[in-house]
Amino acid sequence: MTTATEITDATVREVTEWLFTEAELLDAGKYREWLDLVAEDLSYVVPLRVTREREADTDIVEGMTLMDDDWDSMEMRVLRLETEYAWAEDPPSRSRHFVTNVRVAAGETADEVAVKSNLLLYRTRGDVATFDILSGERHDVLRRVAGGYRLAKRVVVLDQTTIMTHNLALIM
Amino acid sequence: MLRNELRQILEKGLHDVEADWTVPAAIINDPEMHDAERERVFGRSWVFLAHESEIPERGDYVVRYISEDQFIVCRDEDGEVRGHLNSCRHRGMQVCRAEMGNASHFRCPYHGWTYNNKGSLVGVPAGREAYGNKLDKSLWQLKPVPKLDTYKGLIFGCLDPDAQSLDDYLGDMKFYLDIVLDRSDAGLQVVGAPQRWVVDANWKLGADNFIGDAYHTMMTHRSMVELGLAPPDPKFALYGEHVHTEHGHGLGIIGPPPGIPLPEFLGMPENIVEQLQRRLSPEQVEVFRPVAFIHGTVFPNLSIGNFLMSKDHVSPPTSFLTLRLWHPLGPDKMEIMSFFLVEKEAPDWYKEESYQAYVRTFGISGAFEQDDAENWRSITRVLGAQYAKKMELNYQMGRGVYEPDPDWPGPGKAFPMDYAEANQRNFMEYWMQLMVTDPAPHNKNGKVSDAAAAEALTRAEA
Repeated sequence: MTTATEITDATVREVTEWLFTEAELLDAGKYREWLDLVAEDLSYVVPLRVTREREADTDIVEGMTLMDDDWDSMEMRVLRLETEYAWAEDPPSRSRHFVTNVRVAAGETADEVAVKSNLLLYRTRGDVATFDILSGERHDVLRRVAGGYRLAKRVVVLDQTTIMTHNLALIM
Repeated sequence: MLRNELRQILEKGLHDVEADWTVPAAIINDPEMHDAERERVFGRSWVFLAHESEIPERGDYVVRYISEDQFIVCRDEDGEVRGHLNSCRHRGMQVCRAEMGNASHFRCPYHGWTYNNKGSLVGVPAGREAYGNKLDKSLWQLKPVPKLDTYKGLIFGCLDPDAQSLDDYLGDMKFYLDIVLDRSDAGLQVVGAPQRWVVDANWKLGADNFIGDAYHTMMTHRSMVELGLAPPDPKFALYGEHVHTEHGHGLGIIGPPPGIPLPEFLGMPENIVEQLQRRLSPEQVEVFRPVAFIHGTVFPNLSIGNFLMSKDHVSPPTSFLTLRLWHPLGPDKMEIMSFFLVEKEAPDWYKEESYQAYVRTFGISGAFEQDDAENWRSITRVLGAQYAKKMELNYQMGRGVYEPDPDWPGPGKAFPMDYAEANQRNFMEYWMQLMVTDPAPHNKNGKVSDAAAAEALTRAEA
């Protein structure tokens, strides 16, 4: 049996720095560089939620999601953005990832940490003086590799059921 | 009453769509047009509410919309599908505030009036003391959807009590709907719940796109063409059929270009192919056999996409089925509800592949869907302005190029290629006809019908 990582202040600092660097890459549209921070067994899921009575066990829907990606489909998204015809993001959105409330816990294996963070994603397009905001909680698994961490798993639980932006073209 | 200016635009539009094959841009983003549309189009048409598989058990419910009106669509204690206005008869409060669930009763949180899932008022707090036993509960049940009916698992509602039957309304479109809805013994299931999202665009743009627009694929979705997820042949829709029926319905059915080896019947699993060959008519089988893409719209706002598509750039294609509802929220805003369906009896591997292909290509995050929303919101914004509104939009594709296909085995008016705009014109023409047709005389000048007056009198005496 493997021993879980001991979470030291240094680990928290490294993980937080990693999240901030990731946010910077995403907001700068450096998707190819972002892909270098992702593990090849990536699982990236945005669950579908519905409004349920409080007595329901969960408001997360089984069997359907808003996004369900792995390495190949993420590469497809990046390759798509690298063509000249990805109109949904060309001209690109201006986005800002606000990442807060970072909580680091031991992962399931010695080389993994489980990280929760809050996300506020601001998005604006064109010369329209309006904006879209997505708010949610990320549940990440980061894996320690030589020279840093790789994103192995991400679940983004959004705080809306009816999503108030015209597509999920951005990586959250 | 339609304002004169609106009537003139629509009557000229009706003339032009037939004579010049153009459509007035003003129908897209105009608040008055939208107000009239709510009453004249959504007040009269059969509107998709839910799929029966979403409410399989007694007590199951979902809340759905026809224009602004919201309805609880539920399966009552006897297993019957019902639709009730989600509004308490006392002060109008929502009696159901969740999107879906299971309940035998709906209780208003304001004063506690309680209804069973047949819609009957069964509980009024302090009824005896406060109403002196004079409240006739049978007169105060939840308002039902005026007309409710199902076709092959699809539940539709209609606000017009005098509307024609759903069966007549769907008419010849049923031949094509069956190919999608009725090809397996156990039928379809909605997986999970629909994705819901809001787009700053007019709902008709989604309906127009799905009913006949194969033409946009090579440009709008060119990024995916380059990645090999859409046909590289820019003329792929030449190998298709473009069909429309009465009441504005229509669809496109596209097969593979010559020499492209695609599996028959959308590459569906063997057991489903065996079933569909038994269930569908020989003509339906003939239509379905070469298919790689089916796109269509049931007037007004239900669209169908049944596509053979890969889940990423390195995987082989799998077919998936999506239904989508373009729910109007205003002249420049709609909510998209996107449903994923799969045959209940399909093998698990197929269900999984099909789900992944759908989510990654045509869900809210889908690599195809994203670019469509971008176009529709841009069009809507532009056409909301006063000079732009005066334009005519060009619906002339195919003019002088194609003739109706005499060999097509299915009903409706068919053309032997899917680069055409006959379906879109048919949709717009029917929409404009509804818009210029005034409500039945008994509703004019604020007068109520005899039946409604009688009901009001009974209520007053009770």
